[in-house]
Amino acid sequence: MAFSVLNRKPDSGLGNVRSSPGDPSRNVDWILLLGQSILVVIGCLTVYSASRTKGVDQPYEFLFAQRQVVFVIIGAVAMAFVMSLDYGWLRERAKFFYGLTIVSLVLVFLLAKVSNGAQLSFDLGPINLQPAEFAKVTVLLALAAFLSEDSSDSVSYERFIGALWLGGIPTVLIILQPDLGSASVLVALIMGLLLVAGAKAKYIAMITLLALTTVGAAVLSGLVNSYQTTRIRAWLNPNSTDENLRSFIFQGKNALRATATGGLTGKGWLTAPITNTKGDIPVQWADFPFSAIGEQFGLLGCAVLIGLFGIVLFRIWRIAHLSRDLLGTYICAGVFTMLLWQVFQNVAMTLGLMPITGLPMPFISYGGSGIVTYFVLFGLVQSVHMRRMR
Amino acid sequence: MAVDKRAARLGALALVSVILLGAIGARLWFLQTVQRDALQNQVLTSQRRTQMLPAERGRIFDAQGRILADNRRTITVTVDRAVIRRSSNRTTLFTRLSGILGVPVEEMERRWESGRYSQYLPLPIAEDVAEDTVLRIESRSEDYPGVHGDEDWARVYPYAPLASHVIGYMGLILKEQEAQYKALGYQNDDTVGQFGIEKSMESVLHGTPGQVVYEVDTANRVVREVSRIDPVPGKDVQLTIDLKMQQYTERLLETQLEAKRQTTDIKAMAKNPRVKDPADGQFKPKFTNEHWYVDDVGDQYLPYPAPAGSMVIQNYRTGQIVAMASYPTFDNRWFTINLTGAKFKQLFPNDKNPDKSILVNRAIQGQYNMGSTFKPFVAYAAMLNGVITKDTVYTDVGSYVLNIDKSLCNEGVRCEYFNAISSGTGKPAEYGPVRVEDALAVSSDAFFYRIGELMHEADPSRNLLGNTVRLFGFGADTGIDLPYEFNGRIPTSEVKKELIASGALKKTESPNLLLGDNVQLAIGQGLLAATPMQLANAYSTLANGGFLLRPHIVKAIWQPGVPDGFPGYGDFSKATLVTSFDAPEVKQQLELPSSIANPIVRGLTRVIRGPGTVYKGYNHDTTGFTVFANYPYDSLNIAGKTGTAQGAMSKPWFDSSVFAGFSLNAPDKPYTVVSYLEKAGYGAKASAPAVKCVFEALAGQNVLDEVQMSDPLDPTSLVPAPSNTLADSTCLNGKYDNLIRD
Repeated sequence: MAFSVLNRKPDSGLGNVRSSPGDPSRNVDWILLLGQSILVVIGCLTVYSASRTKGVDQPYEFLFAQRQVVFVIIGAVAMAFVMSLDYGWLRERAKFFYGLTIVSLVLVFLLAKVSNGAQLSFDLGPINLQPAEFAKVTVLLALAAFLSEDSSDSVSYERFIGALWLGGIPTVLIILQPDLGSASVLVALIMGLLLVAGAKAKYIAMITLLALTTVGAAVLSGLVNSYQTTRIRAWLNPNSTDENLRSFIFQGKNALRATATGGLTGKGWLTAPITNTKGDIPVQWADFPFSAIGEQFGLLGCAVLIGLFGIVLFRIWRIAHLSRDLLGTYICAGVFTMLLWQVFQNVAMTLGLMPITGLPMPFISYGGSGIVTYFVLFGLVQSVHMRRMR
Repeated sequence: MAVDKRAARLGALALVSVILLGAIGARLWFLQTVQRDALQNQVLTSQRRTQMLPAERGRIFDAQGRILADNRRTITVTVDRAVIRRSSNRTTLFTRLSGILGVPVEEMERRWESGRYSQYLPLPIAEDVAEDTVLRIESRSEDYPGVHGDEDWARVYPYAPLASHVIGYMGLILKEQEAQYKALGYQNDDTVGQFGIEKSMESVLHGTPGQVVYEVDTANRVVREVSRIDPVPGKDVQLTIDLKMQQYTERLLETQLEAKRQTTDIKAMAKNPRVKDPADGQFKPKFTNEHWYVDDVGDQYLPYPAPAGSMVIQNYRTGQIVAMASYPTFDNRWFTINLTGAKFKQLFPNDKNPDKSILVNRAIQGQYNMGSTFKPFVAYAAMLNGVITKDTVYTDVGSYVLNIDKSLCNEGVRCEYFNAISSGTGKPAEYGPVRVEDALAVSSDAFFYRIGELMHEADPSRNLLGNTVRLFGFGADTGIDLPYEFNGRIPTSEVKKELIASGALKKTESPNLLLGDNVQLAIGQGLLAATPMQLANAYSTLANGGFLLRPHIVKAIWQPGVPDGFPGYGDFSKATLVTSFDAPEVKQQLELPSSIANPIVRGLTRVIRGPGTVYKGYNHDTTGFTVFANYPYDSLNIAGKTGTAQGAMSKPWFDSSVFAGFSLNAPDKPYTVVSYLEKAGYGAKASAPAVKCVFEALAGQNVLDEVQMSDPLDPTSLVPAPSNTLADSTCLNGKYDNLIRD
């Protein structure tokens, strides 16, 4: 049941053999948790190293690192809460959360119209709430719930279209914010889930085509904010001298250089020229933390980081197999896909393989909403793992 | 079954993740191993700051070592381009700098936009900034990131405005010059010589700029110096100009022109001639004008406008120029301060009237008729080609009638040419039987008209006279080491065709060289055009026995760093010579046997000392006799020739006054002096006295003032140069009655 953790009998000495092996509290995936914790610690340290000398109005060097730790604590609390729930319980609440997300996205959109700018978040004083981040959780749940209603092997056409609608609406709302990065994560989510759920290959090909044409149409029709197309153009023309593209080209080039000049073993913790001085990568701790790792710790450091993500991904993937029901599998597949895509996009962005989108790296980048979201997602995965035997 | 398929799909998902992570891994490996060094270099270059070290420009000295052009160290404030790439940063920084530098933000933005300044070097935003301002800026590098004071040079002219046309001035590279200077390694925002010696000796004076590369941290503070190439200063140039003589000449020129303009003595003015009115047979004044001076008998007079002129003093043994003055003159220090466009237009108005041109060296750019000063060369041409001998006699009866078909005379062809009016008889002067020597002494036009006709007939191509006078350097560049020299014009049929095509000559004019053209050429009028420098050089050829020399103003080139001697002087005894140009450069040697030279020189001597000719009981003085009446021949013997270049529309007050003279039998003072005063009267009226003064000074009779270094330029002044006249102008005074318009 939901709060069984709190009703646990006191320890009787022999490793608490009173509780059954299937007791959720004994089935936390420790490797996953450990991997996540290491990532989080690396994240806090990276934010510290990248931000200590840079913030223009920064009162002191620990400011951002400190805030990151606070976010982590909040995230941990949220995660613990989610873990203690049976994810099946959330199935019923999925519709509610989904509706809330749509409302908040629409609200943000209207606020953007009013304030005539890009609006990605609600500015509630010290906290910025980014609905796009939470959308990841709620859309995941809604989609997973929707798809798992049908336990057949393949996805019927109606269900397919339904999934598209379900995922498509928040995606479009997010594109209009404009936040192509987060939108792309949702698109990846939809595609991953459909793949795992058994959508026919031709359907998948169809939506890929659809996605590309919608993006193309949105860009050409000017519906998409020129801000975003600027980033794509800056990525495609790295040698352009266009004034508008300059800051993106500049950022991208420096992030690339910072990463690359790290070489094999990096330039050393806190002694790397670009990262640890008033360098030329603005807001490096949020958008390009990978470059900070690359410059300071080189190829080995990057390999370690990617390896950690690999391990974490593997564990999630394994839990997908072990899940007791379809919902759990879909939840894990969704988290897997989103994590994979977000890591890939952030690294590719740093290395110049993709346009700069401002998508943060999970657990490493500075940013409250991102941290909390991924903690919650991992909490869901843990929850699936913990209850796999039920 | 369901689970297996799902497992397979999960497997597919895993495969996708492996591919993506693998791609990242591969790219990372590539970047951090293979490309690392290349990218490292890029990081380093973006962390380097290059600073140009401008070279000190060569100095310019006069013959005695006076420093005519010097340099002073200045500081130029520059901004690193990386700092101001973003327009928001740029506006902030420029606004902050604008107050402390006193440069408007628009000016800084204009420089940023302008393609003139190299993209690879910091942007210069203010030149010649005070040192304490620069210190203030550099000590507050947080407020002014990337702003530095770089060392630079500014040009100084201690003796300005003396010899300003010769020294010249500098200016920014013009659009049309960009390609040429870029090929020589200049930056687009460099200043180069644009006039005078500064221009003609640019390659010598320029030197080679150096460069220093600093490694900077990301806050743009210098970490260390990476490399340095020291600048090579330009070589110093010594001119042949004697500044004391130059000062005297410039003052003399201005004084004489002013005297002509401001005279109230009717005898010194131009007379409105009377012509017979065909209607009633009365003699009426030919021209109308409102402001006549009228004499007792009702004749009208007008002062000469005398707006401009030039003088040249040349050493005829070496070809070196001792002094070269051009009026109106200017202070070349105007070009060392930042003049606004409006101020420039105020000082140097773009007037269509050529009388008012200031930035023109009339000594080498003037395109003038020479009048009778051309006659000695015509005499040479006639004797050389055997058309006449020194003993050929012609009876001058006051006019010359062309030996052509009389029917043409009524069809607008001019058939009768007259001598100048004798003030004694009021009619064209009749000189009687004259040989070439006499004809030169009294300036008999009829004698030379005849030569013109004889030479025209002697050669079917009609070019005999023209080609022979070319031996003296007319019709071609003298080769003087100054820019913008006019090469002169000897009439040929090609020249006439061009002039008809351009509209300078009427369309009805024949494109062939006519008799009338040669006749006009024989007395130095018509389509002939020459510069005062060409005239001086031609007389020098006559004076030195037939060697056509290249005139030059540069005496020597010295290694950079000629040390200072007395204040205002350089000390050549401690300097290292590179090249000396003391030796004369002979372009051509003319055949000048004594049978030809003697009559010419004797005639020219008689111009100064007399005697003239007597005919029909009338004594005709030579044209220069009255003017040189109290000249000290024993101190410095001279010969010379007057000339009056006919003015536009034959208006007498547009006659230009010419005189050329040279010293005789004076091996230590071998000088040719030429004066050309535009619209200043007969040769004897204005230029002859001026040349007399110069020879008196050369003889030691007139004392020359010492040259002082100038007071600083007054930037509020409204004139290009302050008035500079002789304190003692008594040498210009004299009797100028009964002068002849020759």
